[in-house]
Amino acid sequence: MLLVRDWMAREVVTVEMGTTAAEALALCRKHGIRHLPVLEGGWLIGVISDRDLRSATPALGDPSRAEALERIQVGDEMLRDVVTARPEDPVEDAAAAMYKGKIGCLPVVDGDDLVGIVTSSDVMRALARLVGVHEPGSRLEAALPDRPGSLAEIAGITRDAGVNIVSVLVAPRPDGAGQRIAVLRLATIDPRGIVEELGEAGYPVLWPPATHPGEGRA
Amino acid sequence: MSGRAVFVHDAALEEYGFGGEHPFNPIRLRMTIELCESLGLLKESHFDSPEPATNEDLRTVHYSSYVRRVQMAGHGEGDLEELARYGLGTQDNPIFPDIHRACAHVVGGTLRGARLVMNGEAEHAMCISGGLHHAMRSRASGFCIYNDAGVAIARLKEEHSGIKVAYVDTDVHHGDGVQWMFYDDPEVLTVSMHESGRHLFPGTGGIKEDGQREGHGYSVNLPLEPFTQDDSFVESFEAVVPEVLRAFGPDLILSQNGCDGHTLDPLAHLSATTRIYEHVPRRVHELAHELCGGRWVATGGGGYDIWRVVPRAWTALWAAVSHQEMPEEMPEDWLSKWGEESPVELPPFTRDDADDYPPIKRAAEIEERNRRTVEDLLAKVLPLIR
Repeated sequence: MLLVRDWMAREVVTVEMGTTAAEALALCRKHGIRHLPVLEGGWLIGVISDRDLRSATPALGDPSRAEALERIQVGDEMLRDVVTARPEDPVEDAAAAMYKGKIGCLPVVDGDDLVGIVTSSDVMRALARLVGVHEPGSRLEAALPDRPGSLAEIAGITRDAGVNIVSVLVAPRPDGAGQRIAVLRLATIDPRGIVEELGEAGYPVLWPPATHPGEGRA
Repeated sequence: MSGRAVFVHDAALEEYGFGGEHPFNPIRLRMTIELCESLGLLKESHFDSPEPATNEDLRTVHYSSYVRRVQMAGHGEGDLEELARYGLGTQDNPIFPDIHRACAHVVGGTLRGARLVMNGEAEHAMCISGGLHHAMRSRASGFCIYNDAGVAIARLKEEHSGIKVAYVDTDVHHGDGVQWMFYDDPEVLTVSMHESGRHLFPGTGGIKEDGQREGHGYSVNLPLEPFTQDDSFVESFEAVVPEVLRAFGPDLILSQNGCDGHTLDPLAHLSATTRIYEHVPRRVHELAHELCGGRWVATGGGGYDIWRVVPRAWTALWAAVSHQEMPEEMPEDWLSKWGEESPVELPPFTRDDADDYPPIKRAAEIEERNRRTVEDLLAKVLPLIR
């Protein structure tokens, strides 16, 4: 479910090398998008963003702006070294490619065909879906040792409590070597029993705190 | 400010509970009623006994397939796995015999209070069994099977064409069930003030949830920082609730008065005291008189420190509903009766002593964050409410 093809836009608005800056910007406005793949004879040869075009043209109010918008062509400003994704790529690979390349979109190609486009906001959507609130639940963060079976044991504890897991995410603990953090959304208003059992089983819950931090009084 | 106040209750409403160690325990109703009586605040003449809600009542907001499943569950029928998909038979919402009838009776209580107030037989009404704000159209959630406020509001809308209802929810958990039922309805303003859903159940209730379509702007959510104390709670309440209610101009206010924002509550992380449980009802009462001829219906809700917090908080609520002063001291007879059962020492006064709850270290930072939330929220919703 977390593949590029699940999150990409399939209706791709494209331009050609000879498209003017004015036409390209009008397309961006009309479709509410910021990136346009550039095709020549059906082949993907570049990507242009509304930002590239804006920085290539004089600012609003400049008398030479209108002329420049008509004169400048997409081919003059486009990025030629295009990074692409494939539909079967995991979303996290697309995210990594975007932040490493400091780019906001990846055209998606299947063989020689342009089949979609995936943008950083599509990746954000996927992330929100992954950790989001799809049904009522409480959010717990538990530390777990980096060894096989620890997640299974946590899941066993929630199963024995008769509590469904809405979502679960496991990542390396930023501040501790050899440990991971599990972020669980549990379908219960009362996670106290599970918090206690997790602690006893060696998976301390980092949030919520077991007691109110009364010692923190001023 | 001296119209008739009604305490809607029946012993049958004390059947709605999940037994054993489950935190939702109807003994808190009994303790509250006996405390009110012992303090001389509650007389026979205040009581009004409700009928259970009918299936037609329930179907105003719940799907019949769900109502049918709740009925089956209560008679030991139905496939457990399938019932679990409706939120029934989980850790939070265990099935108990005749669960349908018990919860339908609670709904009937809030509905009865709403009708008494709307047709003028009572100025204010209170049903502390009510406040089951998490129940969804076809799903039990967070100890709530049927949504009493949802049914009462939907029925009032049918019976009084064009009526505008303000729902004010100060339970520590987001009032999600009621919000979603009226999410696109501009005639129902839902206001929920709660601990942020970052960690706390149900996880929703951010300021960006502000209604949709015609109802855009009519769902107001004020999420507070964990460990928010009285001053910041009261400041936030005062900044938002009177403003949005005045902008809306309700014909009736229905309040959900869960008291699980108290610092002693085991299920959440706000750090309030009984002060807010006097302040909120008093102000809602004043706003009802200012805006809608006093028409106010109050329900209970969450509250899981059943010994020290709930009886005192809801006695304060009843004092506001019934225009009476709450005495300072807890009555001896009540203390000795319930002190024997309570695993914790019962407080000797009806109000918490502020000196026992000094500001925590992070108080200033928490206040500042809440202030920012309030500002962002008001900027967002106030222009939309009319």
